[in-house]
Amino acid sequence: MLLQQVPAVKDLLRKCVRCGKCRSVCPIFKEIKTESAAPRAHVFLTQLLRDGELQPAADVAQRAGRCLLCKSCSVECPSGIPVDQMVVAMRNYLKDYSNDSIKQFLLSTLFKNRKSLQRAHFLLQGYQATGLKSIVQKTGLLSLISKDLEKASRLLAPVSGPLASKNIPETAPAKGKRKMRVGYFLGCATNMFYPQRALAAVEVLMANGCEVVTPKELQCCGMPHIANGDAASAQSMTAHNFKLFYEAGVEAIVSDCASCSSMLQGDYYDQLFTDELPREVAHFEGKIFDLNKFLVDEIELQETLSPVPKTTVTYHDPCHLVKSQGIKEQPRKILEMVPGVELIEMEGADQCCGGAGTFGISHYDLSRSILDRKINSIKQTGAEFVTTSCPACSMQLAHALTEQGLNSEIKHPVELLAQAYKAARQAKIS
Amino acid sequence: MQAEQLVKELKSILGEDKILHEKLDLLSYSYDSSFKARNNRYVPDVVVTPTSTEEVSKVMRLAYEHGIPVTPRGAGTGETCGALAVNGGIVMDLATWDTIEEVDVENMQVHVRPGVVHAELNKHLAQYGLFFPPDPGSSAMCTVGGMVANNSSGLRAVKYGTTEQYVLGLEVVLPNGEVITTGGVNSRAIKNVSGMNLTKLFVGSEGILGVITKIRLRLWPKPKARGILMAIYDDLEAAPKTVLDVYKAGILPSGIEILDSSAIKAVNEFKPEINLPDAEAILLFELDGNPASVEWEGKEVSRLAKQRAAKVEWSTDPKRMAELWQGRAVTASAAARVRADGSRIFAGEDISIPLNKVTESLRRIKEIGKKYGIGVVNYGHIGDGNVHTAPVINPEDPAEVDKANKLIDEIHRTAIELGGSTTGEHGVGAVRSQYARLEHGAALDVMFTIKKALDPKGIMNPGKLLPEEGNNHAASASTGS
Repeated sequence: MLLQQVPAVKDLLRKCVRCGKCRSVCPIFKEIKTESAAPRAHVFLTQLLRDGELQPAADVAQRAGRCLLCKSCSVECPSGIPVDQMVVAMRNYLKDYSNDSIKQFLLSTLFKNRKSLQRAHFLLQGYQATGLKSIVQKTGLLSLISKDLEKASRLLAPVSGPLASKNIPETAPAKGKRKMRVGYFLGCATNMFYPQRALAAVEVLMANGCEVVTPKELQCCGMPHIANGDAASAQSMTAHNFKLFYEAGVEAIVSDCASCSSMLQGDYYDQLFTDELPREVAHFEGKIFDLNKFLVDEIELQETLSPVPKTTVTYHDPCHLVKSQGIKEQPRKILEMVPGVELIEMEGADQCCGGAGTFGISHYDLSRSILDRKINSIKQTGAEFVTTSCPACSMQLAHALTEQGLNSEIKHPVELLAQAYKAARQAKIS
Repeated sequence: MQAEQLVKELKSILGEDKILHEKLDLLSYSYDSSFKARNNRYVPDVVVTPTSTEEVSKVMRLAYEHGIPVTPRGAGTGETCGALAVNGGIVMDLATWDTIEEVDVENMQVHVRPGVVHAELNKHLAQYGLFFPPDPGSSAMCTVGGMVANNSSGLRAVKYGTTEQYVLGLEVVLPNGEVITTGGVNSRAIKNVSGMNLTKLFVGSEGILGVITKIRLRLWPKPKARGILMAIYDDLEAAPKTVLDVYKAGILPSGIEILDSSAIKAVNEFKPEINLPDAEAILLFELDGNPASVEWEGKEVSRLAKQRAAKVEWSTDPKRMAELWQGRAVTASAAARVRADGSRIFAGEDISIPLNKVTESLRRIKEIGKKYGIGVVNYGHIGDGNVHTAPVINPEDPAEVDKANKLIDEIHRTAIELGGSTTGEHGVGAVRSQYARLEHGAALDVMFTIKKALDPKGIMNPGKLLPEEGNNHAASASTGS
């Protein structure tokens, strides 16, 4: 799609009055502090590219890359400018000028389809388990390839068990009376790095009368691709995934990953589909949910719970939940439901952790400064562990917590809920 | 001096990290919020980000020696091109120098560097029960340095006045690099009439006399209670009458704001949860002080407002108050929401009108808007006559831009004709100096004399505040690039 045809660029760009409100909310601007890091500068660059005042070039692509797509500015903009849409439009327009080979490598391997994910899983497991990781890191072998890649490799959570998809049946029956047939969108990162989270999600859905369909042939949601300028891949993945769910006849689609649900809800569809939405995609409009929201707002949640071991937790709001979807209360409600869990709020729970999917890989140091602010807030709560609803945030947070010798266990609220259900079942048996 | 050579010299003074000279960086320093900057590109030759008085002084010495223009800049939230390098040269971005040096609680003052953000300062001061009262709509992002340079005010000027009333002293780097302290070199006094009042000379001088590097601000005790009264009118002209009724009753609210029907629409579009009622006009009265007085005044203002308003809502609920006040504060940028393909332009947006002529000014602005076929959103600080007019146009349509320029000129001239001013708080910059002779007569010549005395080479923020007629010497000061 041509830059000037992107709806946000065509209709909304001119509304930016450059008031600078975005300076006050942008996590990147907070670190860099000079104007070119302000979101309004991205809007201005988009305008210059649109009007031909600026020609596509590698340095422009590099600037367009310096955004978390956290939407802090988009939701706070008085003039209603979706700055993230502008940035995504720029990245697609400039894709041939981006020289970020690490990201391209990851996108074409890790986040493509189930087969490539399995291959990556196999390699990564071997790399992390054989001690090769520590040898490579200690000898600085990776830094010979790329300094960023060496740092970025530390961001990946340990891969300990098999992919979640190995242990989740394509159709899992509802427990008790079937209320609904639900599609579970098992995202790449949950599948590989947090398989226990996926199992918990399916269990909790089943326990609440949902028949859960997890198609084996699911591909990536496409968010990493569209965020990195590859609209074509994102489009084909979206079309493929929705076809699977459509054919499976599910009534709703649910995901435990904030970015996946945000993407599936159509954050960037007007940049993927020029004409009408494909029938299968349009069919699910309004039927795609974040797991927390689905459990709290869409079904009557089963409340036979037994206490889990007494613990204190804090909750980090992923940007793609709180800013993209306005979901703040639902995960907290789940945590408050679980007997034995005490929620301690951190200051700035809705501030970005700096992870932003692949951003931490290409901008490690910048991402790390943003992360450090978050870790300070977490530490001040004194909570035993952190909960959140996004695997990318989980990995980012765990990375710094591990380095600082703190508890790096990160859970999704649904894992605690699953634990309380299990405790209740066991109590019933005994 | 060629730009390349200039960058090299600046690097040797400040180090690599404090110089920006890549094209994309420079482009991002070519705009502020003004309509004029939307239609022109004011790209500097280089941007510096000093964080010490010594660094600023060294840069000024270099610039002075070579006659290079220097434009000091805060957050770039201005509406007048005030912080833009309209003649090229160096932009001095002071926003990264954001240290609160000392809160002197016992002496009720704070010493800050220019880049401290207004909202951050008040957040910090809250722990001491103190605050810096001026409250610009851009509080979340504007810098205190920028506020001082522009003598900013905002929503609470009715009771608390403007920035100048709080500036006790300044450290200023003069165009030749010399450093002075106004208000007493070592003074922590609140009252001080020794010597000429140079502090007031620099406050509001828009960076044309020197670079402000340190600010000593007087603080006030933070009021314990607050309440907001919203009065809803079916008739726009009835609203200003209530304002006079309240003053006559001996009540001085901290802020009195007006929104006309289009401003109400804009706020509701931006923040539907605020849910303002459809009306011809809304007045917001903010009352602050001790709990008993706020309660009494709230009742009294309600009684007075009910005499002319269709409906009145009094609130002391923090959530509702924050919604209403924030709703008003963001009207400036949210105004564009009234027209799907339009954008609000900052031009002719800040007229200041005598209180007894506010009604007439609102009526005349409506007529001028009609004449040019341009929708104008009106809102502002009606308590002190500072009306904000927001024309909403398609800024990418040359015919509309042309009409807007004519409309703006008429608005400015109307303000002067009614005994007001072309600007109440946003400043002159590069967009209103053509009215300076009309507004100030012979006093303008004294301004030229002062400018020449302090900045003989005309390198400090040339092209701003003063019209070209006495500023011609500045035009020759260029990098030659």
